[in-house]
Amino acid sequence: MIRVLLFSIVLFINAAGVRTYAQCCASGNPFISDAEQPALQSKVLTASLTYRYSHSEQFYHNDSPYNDLNFSETANVNYTELQLAYGITNWLTVMGDLGYFFNKTLHTEGQDPMRGYGLGDAALYLKFNLYSNAKARFTISPSVGMKFPIGVFDQEVDNVKLPITVQPSSGSFKYLANVFISKGIAKKMALAGFVSYEYAQLIESENFYYKYGQQWIGAIYFNYRIIKNLSLDLQIRNEYRAKATRENSEIVESSGYNVTYITPQLTYAFKHNWYLSCFGDIPVYKYYNGIQMSFGYALSLRLTKKIDFITIQARKQASNSSN
Amino acid sequence: MNRTIIFVLISTVIVFACSKEKNEKTTGDIQIQSLTATLLKVKAWDTTLLTMEATGSNLQYGWEANHGSITGSGKTVKYAAGECCVGLNTITCRVFNETGEASDTIMIRVNSHYIPK
Repeated sequence: MIRVLLFSIVLFINAAGVRTYAQCCASGNPFISDAEQPALQSKVLTASLTYRYSHSEQFYHNDSPYNDLNFSETANVNYTELQLAYGITNWLTVMGDLGYFFNKTLHTEGQDPMRGYGLGDAALYLKFNLYSNAKARFTISPSVGMKFPIGVFDQEVDNVKLPITVQPSSGSFKYLANVFISKGIAKKMALAGFVSYEYAQLIESENFYYKYGQQWIGAIYFNYRIIKNLSLDLQIRNEYRAKATRENSEIVESSGYNVTYITPQLTYAFKHNWYLSCFGDIPVYKYYNGIQMSFGYALSLRLTKKIDFITIQARKQASNSSN
Repeated sequence: MNRTIIFVLISTVIVFACSKEKNEKTTGDIQIQSLTATLLKVKAWDTTLLTMEATGSNLQYGWEANHGSITGSGKTVKYAAGECCVGLNTITCRVFNETGEASDTIMIRVNSHYIPK
């Protein structure tokens, strides 16, 4: 019965986004490249708070820096994201996240900076534990999800609307499907892979029409436990976004990209299931269609708390019985 | 417990899947005379000056571009758009005061900055 209801929800999520009305569009929440996790066990809750700083500066034309512009422009973003995940059953985890931009600022030489801030997009995922073999340390966790443009998308300064590049929300409903596969390869090592697909819905209003290109993300993670409480993740990730479409089905030639990142990450496990991670996104290959400002780097800090309600309950029962 | 979570999920989807289209109305003592640009065709990242001429008391001006960015405020502003916004773009100027609101649009053609070598 529960499976039927959940299947209905997935169908409903897809049917709900027939058409969106909005005023314009932006790129929305950044992809937080923290090592992905498999579906949780039943009655396990994880809550995490991530802070991310990113900086962009150099314009690119295809795979080369483009320096023929007679001005300079930089962009920086201070962003935070709250993520909650709960294992409803051993085979199903519900996960949600919500982004907030402290600032999304574009500095153009000779002009006042443009700064957007506020709530970004929210996301809801259903993550399934399709296959799990504890002995072989092998898991396959596919998930489906949806992003909701609940945040600020029409921010103004002195009655002038900010450009879409600094609006906190993407303005578009997005649908996601991904799969995470993890395999332990030695006592202290594990390998994992992650593939994600994102489809953005058309944004249409009286004088605005825009559709982001679809996005593919593929990542390989290498995890190594250095000491008991400290682990190192090394991630190689490729992000591909197709070109966007605007009014009259025109292709936006200077949109879409193919960027490969290396993301080193350190995670320390504290007492009582607290975890602190720091990681950075460093692009090692960049290809931008047309001319676009390219991604520079990002630094992130994540604090996670894990609560296992079954263990807590078992401890309480053990404590009561011993009394 | 499971039913409660499923109910919350469905409710969330319903709430956020619904949105409304914004309608603009023209009322009050405002009369728009013209909305002009110094250049109707520009190269990416070049600027054009936009000016709204309107009559009415205590007028305020609001600006919005579907693609590109506007700097400044008031009756005259600067418009520019990068390569991301090549095409025919619409800029809307809204004039408003305590008696109402009127608006007009102007189209600016943005051409590519890049000339292949």
